[in-house]
Amino acid sequence: MDAAHIRNFSIIAHIDHGKTTLSDRLLHRTGTITTREMEDQLLDSMDLEKERGITIKAHPVTMRYKARNGESYELNLIDTPGHVDFSYEVSRSLSACEGALLIVDAAQGVEAQTVANMHLAMKQNLTIVPVINKIDLPHADVPQAKRQLEDILAIAGDLAILASAKEGIGIDEILEAIVERIPPPKPTGAPSLQALGFDSYFDTYKGVVTHVRVFNGELKPGMLVKLFHSGKNVEIKEVGSFNPKPYVREKLEVGETGYMTANIKSPQEVKMGDTITDARHPSPALAGFKEIHPMVFSGIYPINTADYEHLKANLAKLQLNDSAFVYQAETSVALGFGFRCGFLGLLHLEIVQERLRREYGMDIIATYPSVIYQITLTDGTVKPVDNPAYLPEPTYIGKIEEPVVKAFVICPNEYIGDMMALITEKRGTVDHTETLDSRRVMLTSLLPLNEILIDFHDRIKSITRGYGSMDYEYAGYRESDMVKLDMLVNSEAVDAFSCIVHRDKAEGRGRALAAKLKEVIPRQQYAVAIQAAIGGKVVARETVGALRKDVTAKCYGGDVTRKRKLLEKQKEGKKRMKSFGSVNIPQEAFIEVLKA
Amino acid sequence: MASAYVHVPFCAQKCSYCAFFSEPSSGETINRYVTALIREFELLAADLKPQTIFFGGGTPSLLNLWQWEQILTAMDRLNLLGAAEWTVECNPATISLDKAKLLRSAGVSRLSMGVQSLNEALLERLGRVHTREMAFKSFDILRQAGFENLNLDLMFAIPGQTLEDWRETLGEAVAMGSEHLSSYEVIYEDDTPLFAQLKAGEADVNEDLACIMYEELVARATKAGFWQYEVANFAKRKLAGEVAKSTKLPDFACRHNVNYWRGGSFYGLGPSATSYVQGVRMKNWSNTQLYCEQLEGGKQAIESQEKLSPLARAGETAAFGLRMVAGWPFEEFRQVTGYDLHREWEKEIGELVRQGWGQVEPESFHLTRQGLRFADAAAEMFLR
Ligand SMILES: Nc1nc2c(ncn2[C@@H]2O[C@H](COP(=O)(O)OP(=O)(O)OP(=O)(O)O)[C@@H](O)[C@H]2O)c(=O)[nH]1
Ligand code: SF4
Ligand SMILES: [Mg+2]
Repeated sequence: MDAAHIRNFSIIAHIDHGKTTLSDRLLHRTGTITTREMEDQLLDSMDLEKERGITIKAHPVTMRYKARNGESYELNLIDTPGHVDFSYEVSRSLSACEGALLIVDAAQGVEAQTVANMHLAMKQNLTIVPVINKIDLPHADVPQAKRQLEDILAIAGDLAILASAKEGIGIDEILEAIVERIPPPKPTGAPSLQALGFDSYFDTYKGVVTHVRVFNGELKPGMLVKLFHSGKNVEIKEVGSFNPKPYVREKLEVGETGYMTANIKSPQEVKMGDTITDARHPSPALAGFKEIHPMVFSGIYPINTADYEHLKANLAKLQLNDSAFVYQAETSVALGFGFRCGFLGLLHLEIVQERLRREYGMDIIATYPSVIYQITLTDGTVKPVDNPAYLPEPTYIGKIEEPVVKAFVICPNEYIGDMMALITEKRGTVDHTETLDSRRVMLTSLLPLNEILIDFHDRIKSITRGYGSMDYEYAGYRESDMVKLDMLVNSEAVDAFSCIVHRDKAEGRGRALAAKLKEVIPRQQYAVAIQAAIGGKVVARETVGALRKDVTAKCYGGDVTRKRKLLEKQKEGKKRMKSFGSVNIPQEAFIEVLKA
Repeated sequence: MASAYVHVPFCAQKCSYCAFFSEPSSGETINRYVTALIREFELLAADLKPQTIFFGGGTPSLLNLWQWEQILTAMDRLNLLGAAEWTVECNPATISLDKAKLLRSAGVSRLSMGVQSLNEALLERLGRVHTREMAFKSFDILRQAGFENLNLDLMFAIPGQTLEDWRETLGEAVAMGSEHLSSYEVIYEDDTPLFAQLKAGEADVNEDLACIMYEELVARATKAGFWQYEVANFAKRKLAGEVAKSTKLPDFACRHNVNYWRGGSFYGLGPSATSYVQGVRMKNWSNTQLYCEQLEGGKQAIESQEKLSPLARAGETAAFGLRMVAGWPFEEFRQVTGYDLHREWEKEIGELVRQGWGQVEPESFHLTRQGLRFADAAAEMFLR
């Protein structure tokens, strides 16, 4: 297809505003999928996506569209995830496009990720096609949505196409607007091939399948291409597009989007954002995009120590299709051999754990999530620490810095007070408050990342009865009075329960952990002291009373075998328990506590 | 073989806590069982010279006079009478004076009565068929029939039972004046209605209360002249004073059970019964129909066998023997198992002594009062 008849666009929006449903509609209307193939959120193909009703991975699809002007076009659509953890997927999808459909839910209006994703698109100079979706809803408020587009995003409300992805309203208008408003791709003018690798997945037979956008020249099987980052030359085996299943094409021409394979065995060899060029006549690299680094860390351990190798193999497999996920081996006194894993956020962490459990059938236990702290030692060296176990003794620490985020919270006026209180509770500061329209404000605040990890988002939702939303971006590090909280069981520290917390919060957290531990540690033949301590100072304590007996049941001849088996089982069970200062803690107790 | 256990797998009604193999049954099945049991006696008779016999269940007293006569006649014919100790278990309300007399005259020396509680509400909760009145009445009948060695079974930590309830039952039970008392905590066995109640939150386990009840039991029984000789067993002496130094057993201790704890051999007859013969544990089918069919075909009704290594067997023997207050005399242990208790389990014994749970005497090793409460933990240590 000649470039003038190609349009590349992403669909972006706040979570749940209907991106995937609209994508389905576009696929259907263009005949890419038949009515028979049509199903709700067809592009959310992973089980987890279907079950949670959210998009986790961006999905590219190529469609053919015959426009009202009588011409045929190739439309390359990329459906993106709305959740903030995956905004990385959004920015790399955008880098392969000239335009973006910005979807706004007619009932919810502009929300935090609407703003954030729109800014991402603006930064890349993309043409925005605003769409007000879900106009079929009884409480849809189109005039208000238009006003918000103008007031908050400075987009003329009249440009917005009114649509209902569910009812199939406005679909033709959207397709026409894509053709008319979004500019066709323009060759860069470089002497040879320039393609951007913006995503990848792993295929057992073909190796790494790289999603590419051809910015200049063309990509054909048999070509020898150079991967800029690694400097490696590889031969293209196959190119194609998605409909939404991959299908082979003769070549990908300038402006087209699709995939390539080149017998690449390890995803590490093709860095995301890398430029692919002609090996013999190389062109300069494209701008690409910034590599993302995991912000949240947690240890993942097999419940059954014998599963270690198995877990390792499965983590490697997961990583093949999820380049943002990283891991490395680590050990814990309490949990044995496992892996330190890095994630983009808590949802990402949850998803990886769940995929391990379900798709790979692994029994795993995960430690409390942590962020990366920058520790400046008294001798001036700086050491990053993402695992409390590696935090040096206080006497060696000059200062500790923690990562902070700039958070944008959009909420109805009446909840400002409660939102401010929540932000203060989370050790944040509100830098400014902006009135968005007559009903809503946007609070811009600086918050420690570790405070928003766990329940911040849920709290916003519950404070605002669902009308508040949040987005954030990383805002560097700031010095903070962080301490290591240790949990001691009969005076012995249990590493899996240690955490790095702010001094002001340590006592509260220590108390909560001690209370939980008291619940889950079975009574033993002696009293068990549970203590939470900062440095050497105990801040909370609980006691599990001693068991006063373990036997008053009868036992006669017929019971001997049964009883022996029972005892043998107990004995086996104790072997599997972790013992701390003569206290046996069953595996389940770790799970319970770490879950809480 | 000096010990025989006979399982009678019938009950009037199933108790809510019961995991024994027993079921309510009609006359026909019981008759068929009696014939099969006699067959089993015949198959084993040559090997049996029982010094102790124990008819347990189920409810052996549920067999009618005629059925008992059949069994007793067959045992006579097979030369199996004359055991020094012969126990039959019974439930209140299932034993008439005639039946009691018949058993007594055949040589049954000891009757064990499953009373469990003397509190009406708790009897109901346990799903027992009898009332407290029936317990007193049946006890009198047994005395009238001439039994001079009676045991009462009592349960504590029954869901809903208060300490006060327990004290009352205990007081009334010891006042009955039995020679022997077995008392144990309710166990929530899988697949029983009581277990289901526990799961459903309708019953709960209060360990502290159970422990206080146990302490109460030991105190009251001791005060009433009982001598504790095993975790859950108490017996009287014929004359006041110390128990025999050699065995540390009170006169009315149940020899049959002592044989189990001491790792002795025994034959088990009847459905689900286990045997321990020459180091092999065998178990009969827990299915009355199948049991009968096998024996009608002239075969024993063995479902499974298990032979442990000598060391594993010795470990098991050590473990169970330590439930007895007397513990293990070193010499006797060596004779039974071929192992030197002190040498083989030196580490474990040392640990128990250090914890104050075990005590080494010149001739024996035994758990202390405190240690006896953790007999399971100790037992676990000895298993190999
Ligand atoms: N009433 C109505 N509901 C819609 C419409 N479009 C989507 N929905 C519903 O909104 C919910 C979210 O739709 P999705 O298409 O999964 O939204 P999304 O933006 O892809 O969500 P994420 O990928 O998780 O960010 C689903 O329950 C859809 O059925 C619409 O036009 N009208
Ligand atoms: S009487 Fe004994 S054997 Fe029968 S059901 Fe009750 S507890 Fe079980
Ligand atoms: Mg989606």
